[in-house]
Amino acid sequence: MNAGSAERHDGPGSGRGGGGGTDRALSSTATAPWRRDPAAARRVGLVVAVLVVLWPLLVWCEFRPWELLDERSLRATMRFAGQFLTPRVDLEFLTMLAADTWRTVAMATVGLALAWVIAVPLALLATARLSVSALSGRMAAGPAALRWAVRAVLVVLRSVPELVWALMLVRVIGLGPGAGVLAIALSYGGMLGKVYAEILESADAAPTQALLRGGAGRLQALLFGALPSCSEELVSYTVYRWECAIRSSVVLGFVGAGGLGQQLDNATKMFAGSEVATILLIFIALVAMADRISAWLRPARTAGQGGESRHPLSARPPARWGLRALLAALLALLVMSVVTLPLRWGELLGAGALAEMGRFLAEFFPPQLAPDFLGRVGQGALETLAMSALGSGLAAIAGLAVALLASRPPGPLRWASRLLLNALRSVPELVWASLLLVAAGLGPMPGTLALALHTTGVLGRLMAEALENAPPQTAQALRWAGASRWQVFAFATLPQAAPQLLSYTLYRWENNIRAATVLGVVGAGGLGQMLSLHLSLFQMRETCTVLLAMLVLVMAVDACSYAARRRLNH
Amino acid sequence: MSLLVLEGLRLQAGARTLIEPLSLRIEPGEQVALIGASGAGKTSLLHALALASRPAAGTLRLGGQDGWALSSRERHQLRRTLMLAPQHPPLPPRQRVVTAVLAGRLPGASVARSLRMLFSPDQAQARLAFDALDRLELGARLWSRVDQLSGGERQRVAVARLLVSQARLWLADEPLSALDPQRAQRVLAVLQDAARAQDRTLVCSLHQVDLACRLFPRVIALRQGRLVYDGPPRELGARQLDEIYADLLNESPSTPDDAPMTAAPPQAMCR
Repeated sequence: MNAGSAERHDGPGSGRGGGGGTDRALSSTATAPWRRDPAAARRVGLVVAVLVVLWPLLVWCEFRPWELLDERSLRATMRFAGQFLTPRVDLEFLTMLAADTWRTVAMATVGLALAWVIAVPLALLATARLSVSALSGRMAAGPAALRWAVRAVLVVLRSVPELVWALMLVRVIGLGPGAGVLAIALSYGGMLGKVYAEILESADAAPTQALLRGGAGRLQALLFGALPSCSEELVSYTVYRWECAIRSSVVLGFVGAGGLGQQLDNATKMFAGSEVATILLIFIALVAMADRISAWLRPARTAGQGGESRHPLSARPPARWGLRALLAALLALLVMSVVTLPLRWGELLGAGALAEMGRFLAEFFPPQLAPDFLGRVGQGALETLAMSALGSGLAAIAGLAVALLASRPPGPLRWASRLLLNALRSVPELVWASLLLVAAGLGPMPGTLALALHTTGVLGRLMAEALENAPPQTAQALRWAGASRWQVFAFATLPQAAPQLLSYTLYRWENNIRAATVLGVVGAGGLGQMLSLHLSLFQMRETCTVLLAMLVLVMAVDACSYAARRRLNH
Repeated sequence: MSLLVLEGLRLQAGARTLIEPLSLRIEPGEQVALIGASGAGKTSLLHALALASRPAAGTLRLGGQDGWALSSRERHQLRRTLMLAPQHPPLPPRQRVVTAVLAGRLPGASVARSLRMLFSPDQAQARLAFDALDRLELGARLWSRVDQLSGGERQRVAVARLLVSQARLWLADEPLSALDPQRAQRVLAVLQDAARAQDRTLVCSLHQVDLACRLFPRVIALRQGRLVYDGPPRELGARQLDEIYADLLNESPSTPDDAPMTAAPPQAMCR
């Protein structure tokens, strides 16, 4: 990885070419350019910098993996893992799980539908594409301020992880699926709104502007100008998010929203390995099914557009014939979900509930700003940052290793490594963490490892695709000269795929900073742990400060990663 | 002992025959030019010589070993004795020129040495790459990135990779196709001198028939996958050349980058 990243850091400035008269003259002079590698100092500096940064990361994450191997934790792990081999499959348990599985799916579906309701108006307000005043030069001040404000709302909505929303909603409206649905609605509303606005803006402006100039209303311009060219991408992204919402809704079970997650939480807390095994298997199957459905529904899309949607997939057969039928099925699913979920809409949205929510929010202010508390928040933020960075880094290395196997020509190795990646990927970080807590106890290390495990699955799959898509001729030329497999990889494949691999890693880091805050809630330390602590003690002003710190941290990481990715693609 | 012996070698791509059964012998230190119209099978034959594509029939002996009778591991070992420079040099755009050139030294290099080359080549390695580049008038580009080079410069980088390689057999597929005529001649001279000085065998496909006839002691001509001439160029008559390029004169060439050179009447080139 180091060599690859060093390769990338060759800016255009590293070339000596151009100057120095004719080439012949240069060779005879004493300049002797071979004596000094102009990039060597920078490369050495980079390696040193990585090592220097790595050290505090390892310390903050309390990263001592050998502790996993000491006798006591090994015994606990073995006992727990032994039970895994005999999943509990009696009828009573399975019926209960079936109901919980349905509740998980229903929560995700209703949550996403609500998210859509939130996202669409906000996206339409946020997108500059539908601005009438921008038609003639600059946007007027009023609309520009409105757009800016709407964007800020979207950013706040999506910067707070859904689990944190759920934690707070559980306080207001009590345990049950309502909190889960609203949590998904809020954070996914932010994501969908932002990406919808971006998709609308990335499309060709001419048709929409022509309609607006012709005196059409904004809605008409949207329907006849913008939608025809972006509808596929919008549908595709929405379906992809539905798949993600199913994973999230399992996670929300951990804070009492019900469904598979709650069962899993109970089972792990009781060290019931055989129950955990059954739930995990069902869960993996559920995620795989949602993955298949969403892959099938989504038209083949070109990678690299939209801010969030790095989910490039190889070209899929155009299975448009069943599309309408399946969309109708999804709609039916939504209706059934709404009907079957025990949601008391009146209580959720009635005057009493709203007043209660208002009182709850008022308690947040003013945020606690005592210096020593701020110091502890800073410490927590560093811990969360370290977890996310180390987890992403480990996952990048492990993911690349597995991706190498997964991008081999067809054979048992390729098959096995793809299976491993899918298994790692379909179990969310929080579930990995709750399993690892059994072996390693509380602390940031199991959190880091959990992040790394899930991210390895995600990155491994993306990296395998990137490696397979690298032009093969470069590698072939070296293979034909008798270079060994890893030499070909280091000199031909990696330098071609490295920018893509790095930008995937950065993108996952953005995800992982959110996930790392969430992991704190189950005891992995950092900001998440502080949040759940102060929330449970009803210290709302402290909670508010922690939340603000989370927002700042998430936005800072987003900005860093965005800047780095832009430089990469430059 | 001959370096390369082909007996009844036939190449097939699906139902299409690329190379009709062909027998050939190349001695160590020889310099052979491979000519023929576009699509005559020059690249296919070079790939076959490089043990890159498995023949449908016939044998290929390289240094006395039957390349396709070996296990795939042994065959891969055998590949270290040769180096092929493809026509469109496939170089990673973000790699540095020095790394791209030194990749020619990879076959047989240890892990530590390879990593050293990748991270930052030591002085001896950089000197090696610089000397090769400098002979091709690219010395100033040693530390540049490949994506800063023009097409012709990339092609010369691929030739430089050949120059640093320790393979006994150098195979070059149209190494001059992106170069202007004067430079093409100089680059070819460098390649031939280096092959002679380092005791390498050179097989080079060319579309510049005049250069092939003037500078190579032995010319092999292909037409529609069949070997139509093998011998010293002076015995290659104008009529034969016309025949070799007959397809080309009748129909326009399929690869546009070959067009400016090959369009000239071949008999005028071989005087």
